[in-house]
Amino acid sequence: MQILLIFIVVLGGMGLSVEAGLLGPLGNQVGELWATLSIFGVGAALTFLLMLFFSPRNSASFFAQPPLLLIGGVLGPIYVIVLTVVTPVIGVAMTMIGILAGQVFKSLIIDHFGLFGTTERKIDLKRIIALAFIVLALFFMTKG
Amino acid sequence: MTTIIMIMLAVIAGATLSVQAALNGRLGGNVGVFKSAFLTFSVGALITALLIFFFEPNHAITLMDVPKWQLLGALCGVPYIVIMVIAVQHIGTALATVAVIFGQLTMSVLIDNFGWLGNEAITLSNSRIGALVCLAIALYFIHSSSKAEVKEADS
Repeated sequence: MQILLIFIVVLGGMGLSVEAGLLGPLGNQVGELWATLSIFGVGAALTFLLMLFFSPRNSASFFAQPPLLLIGGVLGPIYVIVLTVVTPVIGVAMTMIGILAGQVFKSLIIDHFGLFGTTERKIDLKRIIALAFIVLALFFMTKG
Repeated sequence: MTTIIMIMLAVIAGATLSVQAALNGRLGGNVGVFKSAFLTFSVGALITALLIFFFEPNHAITLMDVPKWQLLGALCGVPYIVIMVIAVQHIGTALATVAVIFGQLTMSVLIDNFGWLGNEAITLSNSRIGALVCLAIALYFIHSSSKAEVKEADS
């Protein structure tokens, strides 16, 4: 059961790379913003259906939430537009490693100060080492 | 030089994604996962539509002209959300994080190497393999760090 779940999660991760791999060439043909809209348009339709059928029936309203919690939707397009612009130039793998570096960097800086409403967590040596190796990997990548 | 700028952009996007994940995690706890995912995609679509309306130049080819398989990106992104929700409960954040990154890296190296999906082929060279070794080590440290984090949250 565990192994099966891990395998499915690996597939999920592969899906993210396929998404990036589709976006680059699509953006070159129809424009970066249209490519981004294709992701969010289809995604909104799918998640609307999921919400309609599978959400708890009496879940809290968006309007009862602090506005800060709702800006995730504003940040999403930044990620997708960057994917579309960047992958054709440096390739899917280097893009993914750059994104990974950003995620680990974020978990160091933002969590350290508890910015953006995250729980404050002091800088973690293991994550610094991880970031160092990711930067090293990026360096190897640029070597070709 | 362009490469450096592009890597910087990717790093910024990764940090943005991470902030978004933190916010969505909290929102999902309050309103439910699908509802928070719907908010992300619908607000994303609205903002992109506004940007297109005012800033996008005309293109000879539209989304309606490209082969349909090129429009399947969202079908790869949405299952990821569902999978993660289910998986994190059963195998924990640490393992799920490592499995996702493993899948991402494997597939991205494959796409690059064979030039799948209309991408330019970038051959798997020795330095690329060196990069993958570094990432495996990084993954190990991310895993042990996330494990420690879960323990702290439990106590």
